[in-house]
Amino acid sequence: MTKDLSEQEKNLEKIVMTRLVRLSAIVYGVVFGLVLGSGLLIATLWLVIRGGPVVGPNLSLLGQFFLGYTVTYWGSVIGFAYGFVTGFAIGYSIASIYNWIVNRLGKE
Amino acid sequence: MAVSKTKNDSRFVIVGGGPAGLTAAYELACRHYQPIVFEKYDKVGGIARTEMYNGYYFDMGGHRFFTKSAEVNQMWQEVMGTDFLRRPRLSRIYYKRRFFNYPLKPFNALRGLGIWEGLLIGFSYLYWQIFPHRQENNFEEWVTNRFGKRLFRIFFKSYTEKVWGISTSELSAEWAAQRIKDLDLKAAILSMFVKPKQTIKTLIEEFDYPRRGPGMLWNMVKDKIEERGGQVYLNTTVVKIRHRENRITEVVVKRGDQFEVVTGSHFISSMAITDFVRALDPSPPQAVLNATDKLSYRDFLTVCLVVNQPKLFDDNWIYVHEPNVKVGRIQNFKNWSPDMVPDENTSSLGLEYFCNEGDDLWRMADEDLVDLGKRELDVIGLARASDVIDGRVFRVEKAYPIYDSTYQQHLQVIRSYLATFDNFQTIGRNGLHRYNNQDHAMLTGMYAVRNALDGETYDLWSINAEQDYHEEIRREQDAVAEKVINRVFPRVFTRLEPVAFGTAMGVVSSVSLLLITLWVVLNDLGAVARLLTLLNQYLPGYEVSIFPGALFSVFYGFILGFGPAWSLASLRNAVMRLYVSNLLRQAEAANYEESPSSN
Repeated sequence: MTKDLSEQEKNLEKIVMTRLVRLSAIVYGVVFGLVLGSGLLIATLWLVIRGGPVVGPNLSLLGQFFLGYTVTYWGSVIGFAYGFVTGFAIGYSIASIYNWIVNRLGKE
Repeated sequence: MAVSKTKNDSRFVIVGGGPAGLTAAYELACRHYQPIVFEKYDKVGGIARTEMYNGYYFDMGGHRFFTKSAEVNQMWQEVMGTDFLRRPRLSRIYYKRRFFNYPLKPFNALRGLGIWEGLLIGFSYLYWQIFPHRQENNFEEWVTNRFGKRLFRIFFKSYTEKVWGISTSELSAEWAAQRIKDLDLKAAILSMFVKPKQTIKTLIEEFDYPRRGPGMLWNMVKDKIEERGGQVYLNTTVVKIRHRENRITEVVVKRGDQFEVVTGSHFISSMAITDFVRALDPSPPQAVLNATDKLSYRDFLTVCLVVNQPKLFDDNWIYVHEPNVKVGRIQNFKNWSPDMVPDENTSSLGLEYFCNEGDDLWRMADEDLVDLGKRELDVIGLARASDVIDGRVFRVEKAYPIYDSTYQQHLQVIRSYLATFDNFQTIGRNGLHRYNNQDHAMLTGMYAVRNALDGETYDLWSINAEQDYHEEIRREQDAVAEKVINRVFPRVFTRLEPVAFGTAMGVVSSVSLLLITLWVVLNDLGAVARLLTLLNQYLPGYEVSIFPGALFSVFYGFILGFGPAWSLASLRNAVMRLYVSNLLRQAEAANYEESPSSN
């Protein structure tokens, strides 16, 4: 008898890797939200602490999208809120679309 | 010789006085039958016999007594009583004058081999985990997939080739698989995460042993059989087995120059299945004889040396992986039982050389073999040749049935033919051509008797004593196992669908870039537009406009989202598959036992 690796692994794959993962939209939303919110918070604070004659000219352009956002201490808090909301929306959307497709495919 | 008439006129003839044959005879004697046993050697025990020389006892092969079979254990206790010792087990690999734990432990191996060799082994291991042989056609590939090529060369190749006398690339992968035969997928998966119970550990770290070796047990069993009316004839060879109308009718035995015909109603044989088939009269069909010719065995000889040193090393036995010597395994009998040695200031060693009956090593003169043993002991640094004060050689035929790539099909031919005999059963390691331990051999003897007397239908070909304690693990953990296997595993080890994940990311990315582009255009955000336009350095055709900018943003956004997400999901699945396969191989490797081990 030849102990066949692929045969053994096929047996293994009858137990594992059989199901498609379903993503939790809320969890994805929160994770993406936290990552994006924290990222914007840290990026803003970094520029504020570094200081200089003009503080964060490029990052401040985000204010064009996120009304009220500025590169200041208070702006970093607002930025966190915007980042969280945007990230949440992105994460939630990705998970929802993924789940919808997987369900449509009818896979286990 | 007088043949006893026995209970109900049943006359049991047992060929072979090894563990299987004697156990069958003992079972019969306990049930008031009077079996007759024929053993071709001058002592009982078969390949588990104990030789004696100048007061030193030498166990041929080293036989640990451990079992989870209650009936085998009961028989041992019943026969041996207080002569059964509980002994600690230590058996290590000896390589380059250093001892290595078996199973291999990373830090122990690293300490012995050095950091550089350790690094090379580590890289080799990683390589073979990532790129394993997809088909495990032979032993070499089986081991390489689990330990890496470099470790295989150091710790497996040399010893295995000494044992089997053929290249590891010619040895069936089944040999390795057989060593973990009771580790089914379920048990393997569980053992990835669940540590073995203490009881199992105890079985592995300790064993029982008769004070003067297994021969002591088998002599006592012989005495008990004879006390109850059974007969055990030594130096008696069965030369012919006559049969008629699907029944064995009589055997012709040879003792010295005398031949005698012995009739019986039931026949049980533990002689090598090949010898049995060749002794049949009339001869079996040619196809059966051809199949018999294809089965082979490995033999070994033990160079027993008495060394004038009270202590040599702590192990019961060691596996010698040194490629520059022929010795494969060394038994230190004093560590099996202090009573194996009559003088406590000396030690006795059994240097085991694996060979084939009739080859150069087998035919070498005993004095030359003793010299070879002394020399090799000196070369590998375990003892000085000048300390060896005495030596003797013992040869053991047909010690191990060989598992080559075709043995199963040939065995099946013989098995089918033997099944046509109503009053015959074949038992024991060589009777079944199956590499199994002493307790397993004994069970086949017990069950053969129950089949004959009680109408039981035990399949002797599939009895496996080791199964018992693995079964115990399974029973103990069954509830957890079912839950883990059927419910938890499929949920933990899931797949991330790459196309679905890619599409989801693509859609979100696409919509985001579209909204940003439109927002900038509609609100006439010049500064942002300039920055955003830089994207066309990477995305040809993109611009901040309704058309074609918005159109391109949909297209590029999707590609930018889909590509990385699809790759991420595929990579995640591949890594998880690799991880799970690797866990399985690790579990198998951890349950592999060097062979032949001592059982």
